[in-house]
Amino acid sequence: MSDVLNQAIVSGLLIGGLYAVMSVGISLTWGALRIINLAHFSFILLGAYATYQISTSLEIDPLFALLVVIPAGFLAGAIMQIFFELTKVDEFQSLIISFGSVIILQSIIRTIWTADFRRIDRDINPYESMSFFVGDVAIQVPLLLAFGAAVGIALGTSLLLSRSYFGKAVRAIVDDPQIARAYGIDNRRVAVVLSGLATAFSATAGVFIATFQSLSPSISLGWFGIVFPVVILGGLGNAVGALGAGVIVGVAAGVASVQWGPLSASLVTFLILIAALLFRPQGLFTRQGSS
Amino acid sequence: MGRSQRRHLLIGALFLALALVAAACGDDTTETTAPTTTTAGGSSETTTATTTATTTATTVNEEPIVVGGSLALTGFLGPTAAIHKVAGDLFVEQLNAAGGLLGRPVTWDVRDDESASDQAAALYERLISEEGVDLIMGPYGTGAITAAMAVAEREGFVFPHHTASLTYAYTYACHFPTWPTGVETNITNPNQVYDALEASGNPPETIAFVLSEFPGTQYIGYGPPNSDAGGAVSEAEKRGWDVVAEINYPLGTSDWAPIAAQVAQEDPDFIYMGAIGVDANGLLAALDAIGYAPRGHFYQWPAPGPLLGAPNAEGAFSVSTFEPHPPFTDDPNAAAIAQAFSDAASAAGLPYTLFEAQASVSWVAWEVLVAGVEGSGSLEHDEICDYLINNPIDTILGTIDFDPAQQNYYGDLSMIKQIQDGEWTVVFPPDSAKPGTAPNL
Amino acid sequence: MTRRTKALAGFAVAAIVINLVPALAEALDTPGFYITFMFTAFFWISQAVSWNILTGYSGYFSFGQGAWFGVGVYTTGVLAAKEGWPFLVALPIAGALAAAFGLGLGLVVFRLRKLSGEIFALTTLAVAFVLASVARLYSFIDGGRGIFMTGTPLPEFLGDFRTAMFRMTFVVAFLTVLAAYLLYESRVGWGLFAIRDDEQVAHGLGVPTFRYKMVALGTNAFFSGLMGGVWALQIGFVTVDDVFNIRVPLFVILMSVLGGMKHWMGPVVGAVIIYTLTDRLNSAGLEDVNQIIIGGLLIFLVLAVREGIYLRMRMRWILTLTVFGTAMAVWTFADLATSLIWDFAYASLITLLAVLLPTRQSVARVLRRGGPATPVEASAAERAST
Repeated sequence: MSDVLNQAIVSGLLIGGLYAVMSVGISLTWGALRIINLAHFSFILLGAYATYQISTSLEIDPLFALLVVIPAGFLAGAIMQIFFELTKVDEFQSLIISFGSVIILQSIIRTIWTADFRRIDRDINPYESMSFFVGDVAIQVPLLLAFGAAVGIALGTSLLLSRSYFGKAVRAIVDDPQIARAYGIDNRRVAVVLSGLATAFSATAGVFIATFQSLSPSISLGWFGIVFPVVILGGLGNAVGALGAGVIVGVAAGVASVQWGPLSASLVTFLILIAALLFRPQGLFTRQGSS
Repeated sequence: MGRSQRRHLLIGALFLALALVAAACGDDTTETTAPTTTTAGGSSETTTATTTATTTATTVNEEPIVVGGSLALTGFLGPTAAIHKVAGDLFVEQLNAAGGLLGRPVTWDVRDDESASDQAAALYERLISEEGVDLIMGPYGTGAITAAMAVAEREGFVFPHHTASLTYAYTYACHFPTWPTGVETNITNPNQVYDALEASGNPPETIAFVLSEFPGTQYIGYGPPNSDAGGAVSEAEKRGWDVVAEINYPLGTSDWAPIAAQVAQEDPDFIYMGAIGVDANGLLAALDAIGYAPRGHFYQWPAPGPLLGAPNAEGAFSVSTFEPHPPFTDDPNAAAIAQAFSDAASAAGLPYTLFEAQASVSWVAWEVLVAGVEGSGSLEHDEICDYLINNPIDTILGTIDFDPAQQNYYGDLSMIKQIQDGEWTVVFPPDSAKPGTAPNL
Repeated sequence: MTRRTKALAGFAVAAIVINLVPALAEALDTPGFYITFMFTAFFWISQAVSWNILTGYSGYFSFGQGAWFGVGVYTTGVLAAKEGWPFLVALPIAGALAAAFGLGLGLVVFRLRKLSGEIFALTTLAVAFVLASVARLYSFIDGGRGIFMTGTPLPEFLGDFRTAMFRMTFVVAFLTVLAAYLLYESRVGWGLFAIRDDEQVAHGLGVPTFRYKMVALGTNAFFSGLMGGVWALQIGFVTVDDVFNIRVPLFVILMSVLGGMKHWMGPVVGAVIIYTLTDRLNSAGLEDVNQIIIGGLLIFLVLAVREGIYLRMRMRWILTLTVFGTAMAVWTFADLATSLIWDFAYASLITLLAVLLPTRQSVARVLRRGGPATPVEASAAERAST
């Protein structure tokens, strides 16, 4: 049984990376900008469909889609944030506006690609079941790529926030927007760039999803149960936390699946979540007292 | 009002205008060439219909017969409902081209129930009592069908439907199912699969079950709840096969690696997967990733197109009612329908366009409705119901005899298909199989 | 007569009048769907109003309406449909059990010192997911089999199915709105508003914050669960995914925000408007366009009416009543649309547009609490009167 357990742990770890990439966008905008942007789910989906379309139409490796999806995601996020800035919405209103956007985006996706399943042909997409072995454990390549991206995003964001001027500006805005403005920080510009980054991350998650899953507009419904636990455990606005939380969620679900059956996996995940909320509400990875 | 309030209003209005433009541009899928239904109230509502120029030409003076219904066009049941939409649209189009029903054109007023059964119930209620449709066609999916059937029963409407899997539960006298698996699906279906495996000459000795926690697949796996009738698992044991694994997984599973690892470790001769949608793809990809290829495998209700492209999919079994190859296409009528459906599905942008199980049961449901109306010569539901119960109905899947003693079911008409040479091929029972093929294990 | 007596009298009148509707409908032989439309509206009114009792009054943002709703649905599902208990016995248990879960949650989270608004919101969401998992796992609840509600007998005095649903949903909705009103006018309500403004200060001033928050949460959960219990019948075949999904939690937020969270009537108006909108767009049969229009309209409305539609209507109540009354009369008697619901929808749309026109009156005066409730409102009021 331990072989199976090892495999479950490793796969859980890797898919946790994907979960992290899916969640970091919404976590950043919620934590730093106080905006609950459900449209991130649609952007993940759009990133996935864009990858499908680019890969299928041009008959190229799906990862090339990153070249298009990342800047497009950034742009979309920036535009949304500009909209939020202009309309000065609070958290509730941002939730509803983003929900309205989700409805519109889902509808557009459905009109273009229909509700039926789409997957990139295996002749064009080599990644679907691509793997290599380390000992007896298989490492699934699409998940490894996502994990790599998650690590990159986590480290990159962390460095950005701690070392760069931009990062300091973000932290200043989160702490106290008025004072930040007094010190000459352009809140709007910072927020727009941050939102662009966050959406670019979400869209990137979509690229990886397209390399190994079949797509239909409704698959985004299942992501709530993945993203929100990761966001909560990782701490709002904490990119490194998102990676850690993704890994915990992935591994816990994988181990539970092997030990007690797949039906128990989500229960275990959510119980961990509730325990974490009760004992460390700021998230497992955020220092006590920091935002 | 203040400046910023005005500005927000302006922004909001601009956004709304943008949305409306987007809506208008995206609107070329909903045809508005339908005849408008004018009522006594004097206002006309354009119904979503599927009429073409032919229709308006031949039946322009008659008031249309309206068939109301819903489908899960959005939400998690969306993918397969899309197929039913194409099938229904095509049927109505051909029906009208052939002169309509009782000499009148037919309009299919189909709405989106968003995969939610309470919405389906409200929709059927509205269609019947507010919009006054003449007939109804069932929705997609067990939940919606159950809710809509209750409405139909209350209103005394004949209820043809095509995809309700929990057959044991339906007792309305005037429901007409075309999901051809009979009241004892939990026994007949698995046994048909197992018979096919025996017929291959190389039946399994060990079998692993991986079942979705979905009411339909659980029913087939274990039988009705609170009954010891059993299902696929116990029927396999009865054959003396060794059940080496029994894994139940939740809907929307995305991490297949733990399940794949367990299955690979048990290394069964045969995998029976109570799969829906693209579960099969998830499992096969995960198995392939750990270097395991199943020796034999069966998938309950997979999305047929995607499964063809999965790794090691060759040899996978499933159930079907129709595949576009002989002997089914020996009937020129069926062949023509299959071709027309493929064309329509392509036009609608669907990725997989073959006319097979799902589309065929939808087609038969419409045939049943038409047969009931034409046969009784009436739009009165008690007369249609009587006719359907007391007369055998000819359909492209054969003759159906609704049996009140079996809750209007008529035995299991399904058959076993297998992916052979990259295509879904019916292989069992022998008289339904594509000539020259047999189950291959 | 005090304001309160007048209001209660208003409730009584509404109760009597609405109860006559099924009989009236039968006498006039109106389409059965009108009753379905109304009882679905009652469903949403109850969910939105109960949600607002917690979130709107106390400021504790709940993402977990699905949890209480789900508990209610599954309680009647298990007790009445599976175990065969009389439906009217199972129903109050549905509410009570949901309330128990709510209070249980409150006992744990409200004691935490570091509980921020977002964490509370996410905890409520997590509770909903946990309950869904539990329902999936245990076959005595669901176990992936679903529950058939069709064939659950209802007592004869309730009438046929539609009338029974109407009566039950009406009673629950009525009680919910009444509770919201009573809380609003009571000391508990004031305490909750104080908590919403600044919990530290409220606590310092002696408001029993813990107790009041428990009342709000408990009331929210109770009515949501109670209505869920009734709604199981409409769902017909209860499954975990159909019940524990994002629809109810998201829509109650939508309805309350649009209707206005600061007043007990806000969510009522919001629920009616959103439900009418979605129902009629679906009825017009425009599928994809339907979705895009709703999305666009939501965004527009949220931006156009910050304080909520209800308060706007109250500020200009003469305009509201006149426009609505006239439009309704014109549409109905001139037979401009094919059904009464369409008449209602058009009249509401016109009223909404009329009400959205700019106004000079201050929000605070309508809320009658001698001044703005929050600094944000003060500046909004200021801007409104420039």
